[in-house]
Amino acid sequence: MENSKKGGTTAPTKLQVFYRRNYGGLFILIWLVGFLIFRLYPFISSFYYSFTDFHLFKGVTQTGLMNYKQIFSDPKITGPLLTTFKYVIMTVPLKLVFALFIAYILNYKIKGVALFRTVYYIPSILGGSVAIAVLWKALFAQQGLINSALALFGIAGKNWLAEKDSALFIITLLRVWQFGSAMVLFLAALKNVPPELYEAALIDGASRAKQFISITVPLITPIVFYNLITQMCQAFQEFNGPFIITQGGPRGATTLFSLLIYNRAFKAFEMGMASAEAWVLFVIVMVLSIISFLSQKYWVYYGDER
Amino acid sequence: MKTKKIIAGIMSLAVAGALAGCGGGSSNTAPAQATTQAPADTAAPTVEEQEAGAVTTAGEQVTAAETNENISLSISWWGGDSRHEATQKALDAFTAAHPNITIEPQFGAWSGWEEKMSTAFYAGTAPDVNQVNWNWLYNFSGDGSIFADISALADFDTSQYDPVALKQCTVANKLQAIPVSMTGRIFYWNKSTFEKAGIDTPKSLADLLAAGETFKTVLGDDYYPLAVGEYDRMILMTLYLESKYGKEWVKDNTTLNYTVEEIADGMAFIDSLEDAHVIPSIATITGDGADSLDKNPKWMEGKYAGIFEWDSSASKYEGALNEGQEFMVGEYFPDMGETHGGFAKVSLGFSICETSQHKAEAAQLLNFMLNEAEGVEIMGSERGIPLSKSALSLCKEKGILNPTVAEANAKVLTWVSFGLDPNYENAKLKNAPDGVYQDAFGGLSFDEYDVNKAAQVLYDGVTAVLSGQA
Repeated sequence: MENSKKGGTTAPTKLQVFYRRNYGGLFILIWLVGFLIFRLYPFISSFYYSFTDFHLFKGVTQTGLMNYKQIFSDPKITGPLLTTFKYVIMTVPLKLVFALFIAYILNYKIKGVALFRTVYYIPSILGGSVAIAVLWKALFAQQGLINSALALFGIAGKNWLAEKDSALFIITLLRVWQFGSAMVLFLAALKNVPPELYEAALIDGASRAKQFISITVPLITPIVFYNLITQMCQAFQEFNGPFIITQGGPRGATTLFSLLIYNRAFKAFEMGMASAEAWVLFVIVMVLSIISFLSQKYWVYYGDER
Repeated sequence: MKTKKIIAGIMSLAVAGALAGCGGGSSNTAPAQATTQAPADTAAPTVEEQEAGAVTTAGEQVTAAETNENISLSISWWGGDSRHEATQKALDAFTAAHPNITIEPQFGAWSGWEEKMSTAFYAGTAPDVNQVNWNWLYNFSGDGSIFADISALADFDTSQYDPVALKQCTVANKLQAIPVSMTGRIFYWNKSTFEKAGIDTPKSLADLLAAGETFKTVLGDDYYPLAVGEYDRMILMTLYLESKYGKEWVKDNTTLNYTVEEIADGMAFIDSLEDAHVIPSIATITGDGADSLDKNPKWMEGKYAGIFEWDSSASKYEGALNEGQEFMVGEYFPDMGETHGGFAKVSLGFSICETSQHKAEAAQLLNFMLNEAEGVEIMGSERGIPLSKSALSLCKEKGILNPTVAEANAKVLTWVSFGLDPNYENAKLKNAPDGVYQDAFGGLSFDEYDVNKAAQVLYDGVTAVLSGQA
């Protein structure tokens, strides 16, 4: 009261004080509600459902570990799990190496480099779209553009979509083709490598390859690590490619785990089993991420470390 | 501390809201039970309901109210562009006649439609009126909780329908859908390609087997007289077995009526078609990179000169052919066996959701589209040859039936002797990529299974589904 007299203003009410201290919370309220409804609730409920035989139209009749037991014993589930690992092992290294290769080239001062950077980034914008997946299917059809091009050189094309190994390779290629975002990060990392290190190495007679292996690679390992984690997570969750291009065929050769989960949940309506499969996928990605993080100290170089 | 309490409070409210919002499964069954039981032991209607005439006493049918109250109805369907246009026109005509009713249509292609609708049915957010597949009645509403009993709605004239067809849509003692048309599989030929090969279109199985070799030698390796995917092969084999053995595929909707040996005979038949260059392998069709045969360039160009398809799909395949190709409806093969095998089923129907607040008006809308002259004339044969007697007679009188569809439908309904068990199209059997049909026929075509193994896979899979153990 005294203060207000001195200052010529009235003291704020408790409500006003509370508002001033906490109004920032309003800004995150929309996100928070969305998070609770669309993330946290499904996260918790799916964990519960994973221990039930919940069917969308038949409800729950049984609870227990039966879903998890089946996941690790049913070849119709372990098959797609192995295929997913195969896909990740093919996709992630190929994509990282290719992205680094292109970034390395674009790091040179060549004419029209800005244009090339843009052009190489375009697949990342388009790559995940349904239209590109449809185009991919048309490219690799038996009478598609790839086989027609091969025929010009007298090479007999493959039945890409109908052979197990080539079908998975096509799906892999679609993901590798979207190397733009990884490339941009590599490019930024390459630009941050101090040029004087190369100069010193050159004076010492180091070849380009030696410079790359001994200077470039160690200095960009934080970005390699970041790209590895993000690309691995994405690869484990790949859905569009197999869903649109091959529908999981031929003979289940491209049935990745996310497609299996989708089919289980929305075609067979077995939400309990689908939840268990989703949790298995989540745990796999989490464990591999933790292993990657733990391995950092052996191969990732951070400039601020002593 | 207070802030923490407030945040905790907000979180609790949000979680409670989320739990309530996501509890569609129970919320959509509750009104369903209430409505289902309404004729027998209904609670006292509210004043508004009494005024609107929406609720009746036990045993009476529900009728639409003579009211000017503004009502909003929603309707969903899948299909192609011509079906969309015709249905929208019919809806416009209905709203012109009922200015107090607004219609909100939802429509799209079949791809992904079942997934979308299944979750909507479960969540209780499906439109009032829905185009439904026959097996949806069993898959989604086997206990009668999702779809309303249309026989209890006086605004729909069920007397226009054959009781046998209505019985097929009666599940859990409720008429859960109005069957729009019946359909079955029949051969269609690209007459131009057969002429190019110098032979007539097949009139018998012997003709078909001979055509394979002729196509190969005269036209080349890329040409086949018939193209069939995994599910088509299953239906073709069913036709063959039912014709040869004279018995339905599944008995009393519960028991597989064929032994492994008999199924192996059917598998050998399918295998012989591939061996005789009558049908391309699954690998060949997959390699074409098309989602379906009507989108396959080899069908469009005439390299695949035949299909075994639903009679209601004729116009889709005919329309896909390149210019100059002549499309025709084929015949069943008398030399397949002594019995007229094959089945007809309800191609699709219309249902009214139990969650609908305006069932009587929804029934009015359906009656307009399926039975009344104005609606029928607009809809034509967009959903097959109408089962409604009044609609069929009007369509014939006005000459608005697609002649190819009409010819195919007449041939199917004249020939086939059997019905279809509701599990025939069960997702566990039919769906790609891991359905039992895909596995058995794909394995056979990819030479991973011999006929005996393929037969065993099919037998085990179907038996498991029928016994509810799949």
